Amino acid sequence: MPSPIAINPVSPSQSIFKKTSKSPSNLPASAASYLSAVSQADAHARARSLANVVTPTSTPALSMSSSVTVLSEDSILREGEVKMYDNDDGLSYPRVPPTSEQSFTTAHSEFGHCANEEYRFTSQHPVGKPAPHQEEQDPPYYILLSTYISFMILICLGHLRDFIGKRLKPSAYTHLQPHDGWAPLNSDFDSFYIRRLKVRLDDCFSFPVTGVPGRTIICYDRDTHDYNVTLHTTGRRTRGLNISSYNYLGFAQARGGCADAVVESISRYGLSSCGARLEAGSLDLHQTAERLVAQFVGQEDSVISSMGFATNSTIIPALVGKGCLVISDEFNHASIRFGVRLSGASVRTFKHNNVKSLEDLLREVISQGQPKTHRPWKKILVIVEGLYSMEGSMVNLPKVLELKEKYKFYLFVDEAHSIGALGPHGRGVTDYFGVNPLSVDVLMGTFTKSFGAAGGYVAGKKSLIDLIRVKGHSGPYAEAMPPPVLTQVIASMASIMGVASEPLKTANDVTSTALASYPGPAPVHMLPSWLDLPPLLKDGSEGQVRLRRLAFNSRYLSRGLKKLGFITYGSDDSPIVPLMLFNPGKMCVFSRMMRQRATPIFIVVVAYPATPLVTSRVRFCLSAAHTKDDIDLILTACDEIGDWLDLKQGSGERWPLQQIMDRAVELVHMDMD
Amino acid sequence: MNATLEYLSYSLETLETGFYKLPGSQVLARYVKSSHQNDPGRTVLEVILLIFVIRTLLQSRTRADNSGKHFIQFSEKEIDELVDEWTPEPLEQPLTERESLDLASLPIISGATGPKPKLVGSGKTVMNFASFNFTGLSGNEHIHQKATAALRKYGLGSCGPTGFYGTIDVHTDLERNIADFLGTEDSILYSQAFSTVSSVIPAFSKRGDIIVADRSVNFAIQKGLQISRSTIRWFDHNDMKSLEEVLEGINKEIRKRRSPLTRRFIITEGIFERDGSMADLPKLIELKYKYKYRLILDETFSFGTVGRTGRGLTELYNVPASEIDMLIGSVATSLCSAGGFCAGSSAVVKHQRINGTAFVFSASMPAILSIAASEGIAILRDSPSILSTLQENVRTFRSILDKLDCITIPSHHASPLIHIQVRSASASSLLPTAVPPSASKPSNPTSALPRNLQVFDIEAEERLLQEVVDDVLAQGILITRAKRLRGQEISEVRPSIRLAISSAFTKKECEKTATVIKTSLAKVLSKRR
Ligand SMILES: Cc1ncc(COP(=O)(O)O)c(C=O)c1O
Repeated sequence: MPSPIAINPVSPSQSIFKKTSKSPSNLPASAASYLSAVSQADAHARARSLANVVTPTSTPALSMSSSVTVLSEDSILREGEVKMYDNDDGLSYPRVPPTSEQSFTTAHSEFGHCANEEYRFTSQHPVGKPAPHQEEQDPPYYILLSTYISFMILICLGHLRDFIGKRLKPSAYTHLQPHDGWAPLNSDFDSFYIRRLKVRLDDCFSFPVTGVPGRTIICYDRDTHDYNVTLHTTGRRTRGLNISSYNYLGFAQARGGCADAVVESISRYGLSSCGARLEAGSLDLHQTAERLVAQFVGQEDSVISSMGFATNSTIIPALVGKGCLVISDEFNHASIRFGVRLSGASVRTFKHNNVKSLEDLLREVISQGQPKTHRPWKKILVIVEGLYSMEGSMVNLPKVLELKEKYKFYLFVDEAHSIGALGPHGRGVTDYFGVNPLSVDVLMGTFTKSFGAAGGYVAGKKSLIDLIRVKGHSGPYAEAMPPPVLTQVIASMASIMGVASEPLKTANDVTSTALASYPGPAPVHMLPSWLDLPPLLKDGSEGQVRLRRLAFNSRYLSRGLKKLGFITYGSDDSPIVPLMLFNPGKMCVFSRMMRQRATPIFIVVVAYPATPLVTSRVRFCLSAAHTKDDIDLILTACDEIGDWLDLKQGSGERWPLQQIMDRAVELVHMDMD
Repeated sequence: MNATLEYLSYSLETLETGFYKLPGSQVLARYVKSSHQNDPGRTVLEVILLIFVIRTLLQSRTRADNSGKHFIQFSEKEIDELVDEWTPEPLEQPLTERESLDLASLPIISGATGPKPKLVGSGKTVMNFASFNFTGLSGNEHIHQKATAALRKYGLGSCGPTGFYGTIDVHTDLERNIADFLGTEDSILYSQAFSTVSSVIPAFSKRGDIIVADRSVNFAIQKGLQISRSTIRWFDHNDMKSLEEVLEGINKEIRKRRSPLTRRFIITEGIFERDGSMADLPKLIELKYKYKYRLILDETFSFGTVGRTGRGLTELYNVPASEIDMLIGSVATSLCSAGGFCAGSSAVVKHQRINGTAFVFSASMPAILSIAASEGIAILRDSPSILSTLQENVRTFRSILDKLDCITIPSHHASPLIHIQVRSASASSLLPTAVPPSASKPSNPTSALPRNLQVFDIEAEERLLQEVVDDVLAQGILITRAKRLRGQEISEVRPSIRLAISSAFTKKECEKTATVIKTSLAKVLSKRR
């Protein structure tokens, strides 16, 4: 076994998890044939497990690998992969085949089968309790010290190598230095961090992948001969557990009601709307989607943009300008900063999620007015995120709303990660805290995450949204959202909401009915008439299951890691769980060790500049598609690697791994503070 | 001299005694001494470490601005009063009546768009000369089939930015296909065309760098320039002489000030979004090499619309695409898919993979749209007839519309984007093309406004043009005014009707449409006088 610290340890060549790629063959033509394939496969699996009762030596998990017959319907589910019939990794089939009463309509590799009703939870802030102040644990000093020293060594070595390199191999540096009257595009100083630090981790980023980014994902294996300067694919692919994609509700699916709806929409609407919203690029589908989004988030109206990043960067300038002040959380997303810079408004930042810091700042800026002139600000817009993607922390919305009452600022909440992922009805952070969505002035969100689509929206009062339609940059200049994406948004959103079978009586007054029924089901007249969702999606039951599974998974992993002794950040209910590594060297080792387990686990490591220098971390993004077995697998992996890398620095009570796995339900429901 | 030395040694002594008075200082001093004796290198490392720690500690503190000379000290009670007194403006200014009316009367397409879509409301089928379907790929059955098959393999969303498992093989394929099609080393995909250029510019050009830009660049470029915070100089719209003068002027300035060498860029468009005119690429390349500038060319409207197979300006002028440092194009416009790209050398592309804000911080585009674009490129490659039909249709239109003398068409004769402006009765000599650039003093390069600023009545002209649009729609043809963010662009654009010609129409249809538009223009504009 090569050392995991080696830059690119050779993976065991006899690995059964490597599959040679082959062009996808015999994809089922329709969902119906797919479903029948699923049920046949289940039946086969049951037959095999029955056979195992006779031979008690083999466990159910092994039963699949003992099968040598190649079933034609199985190969449909395999999406063209060639694989010996083992299921040690439990990725393509459940380890325990379903019983005859259970029927699953999803591919286990995309959306895991999990029938145990105990593994469910509701994402909701306990009524009456104040939002917990999330104290971030500090690691012991020796960890901090060694982290600084690691960076020191990296920096010194880097400079040393530059120094020597420039003398011995000047040709390798010409593109970084002025030559022949041309300034370098990227000076040696600007690119130092990337050339000397990041490159060492490059094999942990930007994996080329293929297939659906669902519960599992297929990565192309990569190799390097020059210490990560160039990475090339080896031609082999590995399927692994995907705990990295923003697929919170598991709607990244190539099968199922939403995908069928998208297929239908391609034949009805094509792939593009060929223009900007204000220049003949508006389809009826845009209007439908916008109305549904407004209904979903509980606002009067909404406008959709074809890119989440651009939603922020093109809409904030329509809201504020010169003489206005934007108060922004220090960890706000790059798109927000981009938009604020374009708007020409002044910006101040407050400490991440620190209500006290926000209030102090508000008192200062309101009393001081604009710089130099001391004229009062025209308006103040506070921009926060519902759920922070690097921290896993949630905005303290009730407190911020209290301040809003007192200081009369406008509130913009970016719900990119929280919409769909939080709240008993999936309606985001307002739903989670049980506050009226109308008390927030601007609710922004993206469809990239929970809805498995792309693009973003802004919702608010009708007059505000109309203003954004006309004055936002997207309206006249940016391409409108393509119809298949709109369909995915509509179908996934409708299946979270459920569809009200009776058309509401006052269909002509859309806004008032919309507000009346928040957070209720989607009225059927709001959906395209051709949209035919399967019954489980239509009645919202599957949507509920997804929400409750995500809530369980989030709590289970975050609490499980804490009980194992790791330092994690953020809220227990957040589907984003950052596990702190601190040391830069541990990042790549952690990532490689996870990748090379019997069941490969694909994770994301983040470091400076996305996080503060010392707090390098692993970021797990949970999904409703994960099963409890998957989380157990992750906990087991973390437990082993954590011992290896000395990561268990957290304080608080610890449980052994087995106890955590056995008492998962209790752990999730426990009162922990 | 002596006095100062004495003073120095005295203060050092007091410092030292003061230091030893501190608790624990003895221990520290002993530690430093012994460690220094054993290993001087270690002391150096520790000192550096200390400085580093202090620096990061200081950096992480948020900057409080209350030490400035403009800060006024208030008591808590006064602050409370000020807070109570302060009344903010409403978040949104209500729309004007015209704006609301405009918004309400926007044509909405029911079902698929294409050459002959149906409109919501009237339910009428119209001929669509408003949507960007230059190559007629919208509604292509073959592409739909490929996209549907891809959906069954990839699902819809990519659920992550490229760095975090969002780099799907189809994205890499499309990047490869674009680069091969254009003949560059590599290319990079952004998930929205509009956000591409405004992210590419600040990825390369920072504070202190110099950008020389055309005065008529589109809104997205303007935003990119704004974000970059670079020093910006402007040259007259599509005027190579003015460009050369500006470049010469900058050279002089640099020599005079002996400023250090910084990155320098020329930014312009292939076919201008604002008026459809076309850049003189060979001349641009010549100047770029002469003055050592890098060229950022926005081909959003020329990629897929000019050249034998739609490779854009480089094919039209027969210039290798590798001569252009950053070539930006749209996948949404001509390939009827979504997203934008930047093609260039692999160094340029690699740099953006880490520094392109909209690339790094946004989810990659849906796989099925990448597949559709790749198929689109293959179709363009194999069927030059698409581009020849498109050019034929453009010619048909221009031959009919050019005869009308109450309008001006600033667009290039090969541009499928045709802008129709109202010709001012008296001020026709003020049109940009009519002004001999050398006749007057050159414009001020630091101002975005040209010296000979056109004067026009935006509201009146927009009303006239809208009348034409409505009149033409009543006859079953969908066209649109060019919509603008009035008051937000660097300079106001003259109102225009923007036609988008498509290869999906026959010559007959084009003739008929052009005649209808011509008649309507003549009718409406003659009323005015
Ligand atoms: C808070 C926030 N806003 C906006 C975005 C951009 O969304 P998209 O990826 O859809 O462009 C993100 C994505 O990471 C985000 O985290």
